[in-house]
Amino acid sequence: MMNKCIITKLLCGIFAFACLSLSVQAAPWNQLTGEQLEQQLAEKFAQGKYSKKGADSCLMCHKKNDKVMAIFDGVHGNPSQPDSPMAGLQCEACHGPLGKHNKGGKEPMIAFGKESKLPAQSQNSVCLGCHNDPKQMAWHSSSHNLDEVACSDCHNIHTDKDPVMDQLTVNDTCTSCHTQQKSDMNKRSSHPMKWDRMTCIDCHNPHGSMSESALNHTTVNDTCYSCHTEKRGPVLWEHAPVTENCANCHNPHGSVNEAMLTHRAPQLCQQCHMDDGHASRVVQQGGSDAFGGGKSCLNCHSQIHGSNHPAGSKLQR
Amino acid sequence: MRFKFNLITLSLLAISGAVTGSAMAADFGVNKANTSTVKQDTFQCKHCPQVDGYTGTIGINAAYIESDDIHSGNAFGTDKDGANASLDADLNYQNGAGYKAKFQAHQLGLDNGFAHLEAGKSGRYELVADYQQLTSYQSGDARSQLWYKDGMLTPSEHTQIQELSLQRNKAGLGLSYGRDFYQAYVRYDHENKTGYQSSSIVTPRPVNFGLPVDANSDNLTAGLSLSGDNWATDLNYFVSQYKNDIGALSLPYLYDVFAPAPDNEAHQISLSGQYQLSRTVMSGRLASGKMIQDDDLIQMSGNPIQNWDGEVETLDGKLAVTSLVSNKFRLGGSIDYSKRDNKGSVWEFAQFEVNGITGAFKQNVPLDTERRGFKVHASYRFSGDYRLQAGYDRKEMERSHGDREQTNDDVLWAKLNVRALDDIKLKFKASLDNRGGSEYQTSELTSSESNPLLRKYYLADRKRTAFEAKFNHTPTSWLSLDMTARYAKDDYDKTQLGLTGSEDYGYDINLALQLNEHLSGYAFAGQQWIESNQAGSQSFSTPDWSADIEDEFINLGAGFTYTGLLEDKLTLGGDYLFANSTSDTLVTYDVTTPQGDYYSFNHSLKLHANYALSEEMALKLAYQYERYYDTDYAQIDVDTVPGLTTLGDLNHNYNAHQVMLSFSYQLR
Repeated sequence: MMNKCIITKLLCGIFAFACLSLSVQAAPWNQLTGEQLEQQLAEKFAQGKYSKKGADSCLMCHKKNDKVMAIFDGVHGNPSQPDSPMAGLQCEACHGPLGKHNKGGKEPMIAFGKESKLPAQSQNSVCLGCHNDPKQMAWHSSSHNLDEVACSDCHNIHTDKDPVMDQLTVNDTCTSCHTQQKSDMNKRSSHPMKWDRMTCIDCHNPHGSMSESALNHTTVNDTCYSCHTEKRGPVLWEHAPVTENCANCHNPHGSVNEAMLTHRAPQLCQQCHMDDGHASRVVQQGGSDAFGGGKSCLNCHSQIHGSNHPAGSKLQR
Repeated sequence: MRFKFNLITLSLLAISGAVTGSAMAADFGVNKANTSTVKQDTFQCKHCPQVDGYTGTIGINAAYIESDDIHSGNAFGTDKDGANASLDADLNYQNGAGYKAKFQAHQLGLDNGFAHLEAGKSGRYELVADYQQLTSYQSGDARSQLWYKDGMLTPSEHTQIQELSLQRNKAGLGLSYGRDFYQAYVRYDHENKTGYQSSSIVTPRPVNFGLPVDANSDNLTAGLSLSGDNWATDLNYFVSQYKNDIGALSLPYLYDVFAPAPDNEAHQISLSGQYQLSRTVMSGRLASGKMIQDDDLIQMSGNPIQNWDGEVETLDGKLAVTSLVSNKFRLGGSIDYSKRDNKGSVWEFAQFEVNGITGAFKQNVPLDTERRGFKVHASYRFSGDYRLQAGYDRKEMERSHGDREQTNDDVLWAKLNVRALDDIKLKFKASLDNRGGSEYQTSELTSSESNPLLRKYYLADRKRTAFEAKFNHTPTSWLSLDMTARYAKDDYDKTQLGLTGSEDYGYDINLALQLNEHLSGYAFAGQQWIESNQAGSQSFSTPDWSADIEDEFINLGAGFTYTGLLEDKLTLGGDYLFANSTSDTLVTYDVTTPQGDYYSFNHSLKLHANYALSEEMALKLAYQYERYYDTDYAQIDVDTVPGLTTLGDLNHNYNAHQVMLSFSYQLR
């Protein structure tokens, strides 16, 4: 009898200590594989043994954790928002039913983030349970979903400010994986993303889209025309590679050349123009004549994107 | 005793789950939850903190800039030397009735700043309002003797120092309304763009000048979305209008020497949908649009029409399917179609240069394109540690009046994710791209005598191989290392004249550190090299000259944040960035001649100290240093080349400093 009391008190003490130093990394179910974890959680989910008091039950142990408490600063933690999980099943809406987790903290709960062993598809099923609206229509066939990127890899729920919802910090999240584009931002010419005046999501939709490269508009050109409307035309005299694809000559993420061109004039132009006139003439010394100095070919052919002048067939007017 | 029993029960359940359980990925959506035993009135959230009312910070900044080049305005937000003030805000509001609002402002008051407002009741309606001012500075020292006023460029012996910069003022308003299964939305954006940009006219001598820009763009998008348990659909209408307030430019002795970008408008209606059938999801979109340009044309002899009926009809469609055949195996594919049909009529216009073949008249050529795509991909998860993805993409492009009527791209790609090692994630990617197409016939469009050996790179046969390897290591909870290496090679194997090959390779390393509760830092380094070669022929036969272009880019950065100093009142932070972009062109004709210096480098240093005066008020002192240098061998002085007038040397070389004092107040 006495021993049982002491043991129980000891266990309670250890249990309380474990609660205080709770961190996802030290998850006691780490020895399970992703598949085993998923299966166990699916069984738990089907059984539906929810807590007695909802968030109050969870907070008995987890209220000392700043990260946990931060959810109440955001929409997901606001019980007055009718669609918020806190107005429904509360913590268990996302983390699944309590089951026997409160008995020692050894039974797994659905966990999110980079340390979670749960496959991305299962993690995402939680978010998609509520956020299955037309905004996510292209998600299932999107590159991010096919690459098994979890919603929580980019989004932060236990916070007052999700960094991807803020113009000043969204680029940092995207470039944590897309490191080539992070470097491109710092090149000689690029869109003003380095100073967060433009963001990755001004052109791309991270949830996927029905267009190539998950662009916000139907085609590459339509996306460019959404800001560069003066180039839309159509115009009388068109420059074929321009109307076909802006990316034939430009790299929208940045380039070591001015105007985000993949190569400079005259070399860029001479990659396509090789006639019996001056276009094929070798420009041996830069800056010494009108072909290699000033704006090079664009000294005369300034309407390079197309011209609407009746006499503008050579894109000079 | 009880614990042991429970563990046994759990493991039994787990085993039974593995044998009889579903092979499908788990669905933990709250709409699928088993809530039969839940008594929700006991979920009272008594211990949940109440965060109603206003939260957030509002701040006012006073800065002093010392700079002699307006280009530094790109980094500082304004080109104005001396003192300036701006406003920052980051406020949230929510109340017990479900209303919430958010307001964010950044550098409001400078030439680059924005304000964003959202307000509404979630699940009912939301109002969004945006304002942004975006200014980009090219140069403040452009020299021109052409003075612009009301469509006339007047030459003068007085040189004006012109500022080449473009400013966009944007405002937008959006409203969405809906509940449960439907949502209607509308959004209107207006943008006014003004400034001057570098351009050139032919008089017939080429004269570079600052082209005035003054235009308005209006975009409107409206739509209705409906969704059900396993389906969703969206009907959207988009209209965009461009109006240019700058007309044709004339010189006193030469009228209509430069045509403006014409007014245009575009309309598009699209219908998209998604349908989920068990583990298969189908999504698709059909969009039909029109781009119209019927602005008045410049009237000159030899122009038969008042305005052109420029109209391009566009049709785009896409259908994608993806299916989780089992927990480990996913299969998917898509088809897409994109058509651009130019309906503008064809007329003969007199040109100023008499062409030996067509004489003084030329017909405009309406270009049409049609694109078809087909993709198929599969992914298989071998275990928790290995995942393989592979796919095949085909793209067919058809164009009218091109050198090559049809081109097609076949891409075979594969990706492997490895998580077998502790705290190490590896990703490998490889792709092979082969472009071919119909017979290449040099077109009459660009020149009736184009060299038959020329292959335009966007049409030419090309073999592209690309590899990428990513390594991510998190050995401890406070250190994270990412390394990526890339290599791509383009071989234009059938090209004798034009771009013959290109190699693009590089790496980057990123390090993130959380040394202790207070000190965190990051460092990164990256380099990229792009080497291209092209061949030319000035004798209108086989290649007799070539050019090698070697691009090199390096960027390095590091930063730190130190919090909790002086009894948790002081936070220090710093960021440093260095970037150097170089492009060296070597032209070989008998001898190899390097073209000259074309590079730019930039050092950027930011330091700040944030001191909390009280729980609500804080004072921040920040210093920013920008060192920028660029050089371009083509930037020559105004009259260096006889017959060519430039805007002068627009290179930059400056040291700029900014000191900023900010006061912020935190609500609650």
